[in-house]
Amino acid sequence: MTNYKYIGKSAARVDGIAKISGAARFVDDLDFGPNLLFAAIVESSVAHAIIEKIDASEAEKMVGVVKVVTGKDFPYRFGLYMHDRYILAQDRVRFVGEQVAAVIARDPKTAKKAAKLVDVKYKELSPILNIEEALKEKSVLIHPELKDYTHVPWFFPKANTNVAHLRKVRKGDTNKAFQEADFVFEDTYTVPRYAHCAIEVHGAIGLFDHSGRLTVWTASQSPHTQRHLFAEALAPLGLSHKDVRVITPYVGGGFGGKAGVSMEILGAALATAVKGNPVKILWSRAQEFYNTYQRQGLTAKIKLSCKKDGTITAIQNNLFWDAGAYVEYGANVVNAAGLSATGPYRIPNIEINSYCIYTNLPPGGPYRGFGYSEFLFGLESQINEAAKKIKMDPVEFRKKNAIRSGDKLSYGASMNQSGLAEAIEKAAEAIEWGKDEKSNDPQKAIGKGFSLFWKAPAMPPNASSTAFLKFNEDASLNILVSGMEIGQGYQTVMAQIAAEVLTVPPEKIRIENPDTDRNPYEWQTVASHVTWGCGNAVKRAAEDAREQIFDLIERALDKDRDSLFLKDEMVMSKKEPGFKLPLKNFVIAGIGKDDGTFRGGPIVGRGMFMPEFASALSDPETSQGGKPNVHYTVGASAIKIEIDKETGKIKIPKVVLAVDVGKALNPDLIKGQVTGGLLQGIATVLYEDMRFDEKGKLLNPNFADYKIPTAMDIPDEIVSILVEVPQPDGPFGARGVGEHTMIPAAPIIANAVEDALGIRIKSMPITAEKIVLELKKQGLFEQTKEEYIDNK
Amino acid sequence: MSILQDFDYFKPTTIEFAIDLISNNKNATILAGGTDLIVNLKEGTATPEIVVDIKSLKDLKKIEFKDNCLIIGALVTFTDLLESVVIKEKFPLVWEVSKTVASVGIRNRATMVGNICSAVPCLDSGPLLCVYEADVNVRSSKGKRKIPIKDWFLGNKKTALKHGELVTHISIPFPNQKTGGCYVRLGRYCGEDLAQVNVALLAFANNAYRIAFGAVAPTPLRANKIESFLNGKKINDHLIEQAKELIPDEISPITDIRATKEYRMHMAKVMFERGIKTAVERLNGDGLEYGESLV
Amino acid sequence: MKKKITFLLNSETRSIEVESGDILLDVLRDKLGIKTPKIGCDMGDCGSCTVMLDGKTVKSCLVLALEVEGQEVTTLEGLMKDGMTPLQQTFHDFNSFQCGFCTPGMVLSATELINKNPKPNRKEIQEALSGNLCRCTGYIPIIEAVEDLIGKGKGEGKEKG
Ligand code: FES
Ligand code: FES
Repeated sequence: MTNYKYIGKSAARVDGIAKISGAARFVDDLDFGPNLLFAAIVESSVAHAIIEKIDASEAEKMVGVVKVVTGKDFPYRFGLYMHDRYILAQDRVRFVGEQVAAVIARDPKTAKKAAKLVDVKYKELSPILNIEEALKEKSVLIHPELKDYTHVPWFFPKANTNVAHLRKVRKGDTNKAFQEADFVFEDTYTVPRYAHCAIEVHGAIGLFDHSGRLTVWTASQSPHTQRHLFAEALAPLGLSHKDVRVITPYVGGGFGGKAGVSMEILGAALATAVKGNPVKILWSRAQEFYNTYQRQGLTAKIKLSCKKDGTITAIQNNLFWDAGAYVEYGANVVNAAGLSATGPYRIPNIEINSYCIYTNLPPGGPYRGFGYSEFLFGLESQINEAAKKIKMDPVEFRKKNAIRSGDKLSYGASMNQSGLAEAIEKAAEAIEWGKDEKSNDPQKAIGKGFSLFWKAPAMPPNASSTAFLKFNEDASLNILVSGMEIGQGYQTVMAQIAAEVLTVPPEKIRIENPDTDRNPYEWQTVASHVTWGCGNAVKRAAEDAREQIFDLIERALDKDRDSLFLKDEMVMSKKEPGFKLPLKNFVIAGIGKDDGTFRGGPIVGRGMFMPEFASALSDPETSQGGKPNVHYTVGASAIKIEIDKETGKIKIPKVVLAVDVGKALNPDLIKGQVTGGLLQGIATVLYEDMRFDEKGKLLNPNFADYKIPTAMDIPDEIVSILVEVPQPDGPFGARGVGEHTMIPAAPIIANAVEDALGIRIKSMPITAEKIVLELKKQGLFEQTKEEYIDNK
Repeated sequence: MSILQDFDYFKPTTIEFAIDLISNNKNATILAGGTDLIVNLKEGTATPEIVVDIKSLKDLKKIEFKDNCLIIGALVTFTDLLESVVIKEKFPLVWEVSKTVASVGIRNRATMVGNICSAVPCLDSGPLLCVYEADVNVRSSKGKRKIPIKDWFLGNKKTALKHGELVTHISIPFPNQKTGGCYVRLGRYCGEDLAQVNVALLAFANNAYRIAFGAVAPTPLRANKIESFLNGKKINDHLIEQAKELIPDEISPITDIRATKEYRMHMAKVMFERGIKTAVERLNGDGLEYGESLV
Repeated sequence: MKKKITFLLNSETRSIEVESGDILLDVLRDKLGIKTPKIGCDMGDCGSCTVMLDGKTVKSCLVLALEVEGQEVTTLEGLMKDGMTPLQQTFHDFNSFQCGFCTPGMVLSATELINKNPKPNRKEIQEALSGNLCRCTGYIPIIEAVEDLIGKGKGEGKEKG
C-alpha cells in the first residue's frame, strides 16, 4: 500500500477558521450599497388555473415601487434537462405559490406591501394532486405543449398525457421467471414529498449594468450550470455566456436543493428589468418549502420472485413519481432511479418502468440520494419480507444475491469492483446481527434492521470538471475550481489531493468559492461526484504543474528529468542526494542563470476531467446498450431500535453504515457525512413529510410543523465503517459518498420495526402514531397491553 | 423580515401609564417576551396600532412565595422559573412544565403570563395552572380583579381578559398537604414541538387527585369525572384501567396536521396512566426525577 | 414611527434610528454590519439568528430593535474580542460544522450553557442546543466538542494538519 503524506489523513478543514470565526460570508451577508433594490413575489393562490388578468396599477402607484414585472416581460422557457419552466408564470399557474409577478422596490417592506396589492384574476382548472388523477385517461393536461418541449435525448415524454418521461428497463423474461419461481412477492410502497431544509434559504442578487454585463450572486451548488441556464434563458435579450457572471459565496447547506436553477432565475431576470441597479431576492422559509425543488413523492409497485434456495430470479418495479408542476430537473431523478431500481442485486430478469408524472404540486427535483432513497424503501422492505417468508436470514439472503464486480447491470454494462461483501460482513458484525436482544422493560421491543444500498452519480455523460492551480512566491498555492464547498469538505479534499502531488501542505493551499469569470468550468456540485470528477481534475492540474517544474529543472539546471521528484516542498533527485531546490525559490521567479538571465516563470497547472467512456444513449424500450453510470458506490447499513409499544416512539441505540469509499481521502470528513447523512435520512423516516390540503396548498411550510431533528433527536451511537476497494479511475482510488449515507435510512428502520413488532409499514414516514395505529388495526395492541399487565 | 404593519411603540415605566395606554386605545397589544406576538406581527395575524412593552415595569418581574401563595409576575420568564429555588423546591411541577417549554433561547424571553394570554389549545402552562387552581390577577383603571383559571380560558386564543386590563401576575396557592406532581407532554420528537396532548397531574396525600388535559379541546380542561372516580382511593393498576375508560368522556381531541384524534385519544390514556403512577410515586418520595420525559 | 435607540453592541455603545417594526436581527445585519446572526426561518424556530441579550441567548428575529434600548447585545463578533474562544477552537478541532451557517448561533448557545453550567452532562448539552437547528452535522460532533471542552470527552481531541 502506498504511503501517503496527506491523503487518508484527517486534515483540518481549509474553510474551518472562516466558518468558526464567522468570517465566512453567505449570499445574504454581501453588501451592495444604497442602490440595492428588493423584489417581492406575487404568488399563485391556486394550484391550477388560467391567468385571466393581472392588475398591478395599485402597486405601481406606491412610493418606493420601482417596477412590477410579469410573465409577459419574460416569455421564455428554460430548464436543465427539459425546457418546461418559466421565469414568471405565463398564461397559466401550475402550483400554489408559483411566481406570477414580481414587485421591485427600494426596500423589502415596500416590495412586500406592494406585492399584496397586485390583483390577479384566475380561471381555475381542476387541480391534479396525485398520480392516479394524473394518469387517468381523460385527465386534464398540465402541460398541453409537452410534445414541443426541448429535452435531452435520453428522455421520452408521452405527448398528450401527464407523463413527462418514462424510463423503461428490460432484461431477460420476467413473465417466464414469475411463472417458474417458487415464490412471488408483490407489494406497494409509498414515499411522500420531502424538503431539503438547508438552514440557509435561497437568495440571489442580480446586477445588469449599463455595459450589458449581468452578474448574479447566488447561494448555489451549480455556478456554471446557472450561468449557462441564465445565458440560455435570457439569450433573446442579447446576452451571451461571456456576459453572464455567477459568483457564489459560501453556501449554507445544499442537499441538492441549491443545484440547478430554481428561484435564482428571478435574480438574473429581474436585474435586466432595472438596468444599473442591483436587485435582491431572498426566499422566506415558507417559500423555501413550497417554491424550490422538493423531493418527489413515489408510489412503487414491486413484484419480486425467488427460488427456494433464496436466489432472486426476477423483479418488476413500477415507479410512479409525483414529479410536480415542472420537471426540468426532476425527470432526471426519475431516469436515474429507473436505471438502478434493482438495487445492488444480481437479478437476471428485469422489468422496470419509471414514470415521471406532472402534478399540480411544487416542482420536484434533486435531493441528496437522487431517487435512490425513495425506491430503496420499498425494494429493501420487500427483500426483507421475501427472506423472512422463505425462512432465510435477511442478511444471508442479501449476501446470496448481492451484486458482484463484473456482473451485468440492468442496462447491460458491467458492475465496477466494489467491497460490498466486506461492507455487509462488517455492518452485520457491528450491529451484532443474529444476537437476539430483549429489553428488560416489557413495554419496549427491540428490533434490528438491515439494508444494502448503492448509488451512481446521475449526470450527463459529458459532465466535466476543470482546475487551475497557481503557485505563489512562497510556494503556497491558490487553486481555482468551481465545485462548491457546501459543507461536505470538498475544498479540504481538493487541497489534500494537490498537497499529495506537490508536497505542499494543505495549510498552504487556499481555495476560494467560485466566480465563473475566473474559475474554470465545473458542471455542478451534485451526484457525489466532485471528489471523484473534480478530484481528478485537481490531481491532473497538480501533475501538470509538477511536470512543468521538472521540465524547467531539466532545462535550466541540466538535471536528469527522470530522477527528479518532489519532497517537502523541494525538488530532489534520486541521482544526486545533495540536490534540494525549494519550490519557493523558483515557482514565480524562475531559475537564474550565471549570465543574469532567468528561465521559467510562474507555474500554473491546468487539469480537466470528463468521463469519456460514459454514454446515455441506449434502446428506449429496454435501456440496453449505453453506459449511463460511471460507477456505483455501495454499502450496507444496520440499525438497532427500541420501540415503546404503547406510544410507538422509537429510540435508536445504535446505527451502523459501512460504505465502500474506494479510498478515504479524509476519514474524518467522511465520518461527518455518515453522521449528518444518517440523521437526515432517519428524520425522513421518523418525523418529516410534506402535507398538502385538498387544494394543493402546503400545510407545513415551517419548522414548527415540518420537524427536522434537533440535538435531542439523535441516535445514541453512530458507527461509520469505511471499506476501501479502490475506484481505478478515481483520484487515489476515491469514490463519492456524500449522498449514500442517507439512502438506507428508511429500509433499515422499516425492517427493524417489522423485526420488533411483526408489522410491516409500507408508507413513509414511520411515525410513532402510525406504528400505534397499525398495532391497533391488527389487534396486536390490546394483546401487547395484556401481555404487559400479565408480565407485571 | 420587518413587520409590515405600522404601529406606535411605548415602554411605560409605571403600571398606571401602561393601563392608561391600553384602555385609551382600542387596538393596543401588550408586549412582554414577544415570542408569540412578534411572530403574529410578522405574519400579519396581529395588527395593533400601539404596542405597549411592559418590560420596564420591574414590579412584574418577581417570583414571590408568601402567605402560602406563589406569585409569578407577568415578566417572569420560563428561564426565571427554572432558575428559582422556591420553584424547584416547593413547586417542582411548575419547574417540570417550564423545562418542556420550547428551548433556551425562547425560554429566556417567553413568560408564563404570555403563555396563558396566547391561550392556544396546546399551551404548556394551561393544564399546570388548572391543577393548581391558580388565579390570574389583572388590573385596569377600574381596579384589580382575580380570575380563577377555570374561568380564564374561553376558547381557542380567547381569554377572559377585557379591554383595558393588564395581567399583573398569576397566583398559585400552595397545596395544603403533601403532593406529587407530573407533567406529561406529547411531541412528535424530543426536540422543541407544540404539544399534541399534554396532561398535568397532582396527587395529594389524602388520595385526592387533580388532573388536567391540554391540546385535546379548545381550552385546557380538568378531568372532573376521573377526579371524582379516583377521589379517596389508592391508585392501583385496576383503578387506572377503569379511570382510563372515562377519558373519552372528558376530552374531545381533533385531527390536525400534528396528530389524529385517534392517536391523541390513545396517548391521552397512556399519558394519564404513566403520569398518575409517577405522580403517586413522587408523592411517596420516589419515582422518576422531575424533568424526565415519560413518553 | 422612527425612534433612536442606544445600546451596547459588542461592548461598544451604538446609537441608531429605527422604525417601530424593525427587527433586531435585520438592524444588526443591514444597518450595523453585524453579519454573524443569520436568517434561517425568521420565525423563532431555527436559532441561526441567536444573539445574547444581557448575557442570555435570544432569537433576534423575535426581538424588536426598540426593545434593546439600554441593553447589551453580544454576537459572535463580540465573543472574539481576544481572538477565538476555547470553545470555538474545540469546535474547529472536532469538525463541529460543515456548511457553517448554524455555527455562530450554535457557538453562542454552547457558550451560554457553559457559562451557566460549567459541567453539563450529555443530556443537558443536547437540551441546551436543541433550539439551534443544524441540517449538516447530525449534532454529534458538536456535542462531542462541548464534552471535550469541559473535560468529559472521550479524549479524542484531534491532531489536525
Ligand atoms: S431566524 Fe430566528 S430562529 Fe430562525
Ligand atoms: S453546519 Fe450546516 S447547518 Fe449546521
